[in-house]
Amino acid sequence: MAAFLLERVEHHAGRLEASKVTAINLLVGERSCLGDDALRFSFDLLTAGTVAEGARITIRRTPMRFHCPTCDGAYVPAEADFACPSCLTIGQVTDDGGEMLIESVEIER
Amino acid sequence: MSVPGVKLVTIGERLLVDNDRVAARNHRRLSEAGVLTVNIMAAPGAGKTSFIVRTLEALRGRARAGVIEGDIAGSIDAETVLAAGAHGAVQINTGGNCHLEADMVERALHDLDLDGLDVLFVENVGNLVCPTQWALGEHVKLCLVGAAEGDDKPVKYPPMFAASDAIVLNKTDLIDLVDFDRAFFTSSVRALNPAAPIFDVSCRSGAGIPVWADWLLAQRQGVSGRDSARLGMAPIGGT
Ligand SMILES: Nc1nc2c(ncn2[C@@H]2O[C@H](COP(=O)(O)OP(=O)(O)OP(=O)(O)O)[C@@H](O)[C@H]2O)c(=O)[nH]1
Ligand SMILES: [Mg+2]
Ligand SMILES: [Zn+2]
Repeated sequence: MAAFLLERVEHHAGRLEASKVTAINLLVGERSCLGDDALRFSFDLLTAGTVAEGARITIRRTPMRFHCPTCDGAYVPAEADFACPSCLTIGQVTDDGGEMLIESVEIER
Repeated sequence: MSVPGVKLVTIGERLLVDNDRVAARNHRRLSEAGVLTVNIMAAPGAGKTSFIVRTLEALRGRARAGVIEGDIAGSIDAETVLAAGAHGAVQINTGGNCHLEADMVERALHDLDLDGLDVLFVENVGNLVCPTQWALGEHVKLCLVGAAEGDDKPVKYPPMFAASDAIVLNKTDLIDLVDFDRAFFTSSVRALNPAAPIFDVSCRSGAGIPVWADWLLAQRQGVSGRDSARLGMAPIGGT
């Protein structure tokens, strides 16, 4: 995963004519398979001597989200099931918590 | 134009976009060859290999199927499916990786005679989390759960159920023994995925396999490429 991230970061650094990437901001769903510490650890090992050496990785964890048709509103379900906490209707997922996005990077030219 | 100092640039792209690209290439290649490809994702021991073996039996004389077996190490599953009548099987050892990636499948496709195949099963590494994010080029993402694993698997692993085109509940012969709540399972799946068919099967008895096999062959109509009429299969549910 870290190798994929570095490839994308190097691609964007080149495109943006950056001399250095100082920060990488990721959006990662809470149910995805990306572990914060493991990613940072491997990324640090891989980036030595690259444009992203020393870049700070910020990971924004987003929860799963559902829509309740009864309350006509969004909710985050409890652990044991997918029921709406207000009315116990089982709604429809709007975010399954599996997202893995590169939101933004901070660069120096 | 170049400003000194730090600049924040919005990117907004999927982290695995490079894998997606290779997967799209695989998808084109498989579609052109008319090979309906199924990515089978499940926990270790859920019955992936047993399910492939049962399906091969059901397809005998109706479609020629190949198999790509993904495992961390070893080749037992590839030998099993060849013995069960697969028209070619390739073992991928991921070397510790907990999921298959599109470039691994791309290499494996070189070792298969795609023109001699109608269907290709890809047995992913046993894992309910990671394989979801890695597109391989498949036409059908299939999630298989063994009843003995519990009725709470959709609640614990939502992205896999949300992303799947078909869901298989295996080991239905064990449902009563393990107090599997079928209604709770179904309602949780439906909250994540309103449309995907759910197939109840037992690879032990073979129950439910014919219904699944008919559905699978009907999916092949949607794959472009060679004329699928020669398969002599009756599409279910009309056009
Ligand atoms: N009772 C029962 N047992 C089953 C069924 N399907 C598979 N099994 C058993 O479950 C065990 C695991 O089956 P496999 O097909 O090897 O499972 P797998 O998912 O391929 O396993 P890995 O590749 O090791 O992750 C075997 O002992 C099978 O005989 C079923 O429908 N009912
Ligand atoms: Mg297996
Ligand atoms: Zn509600």
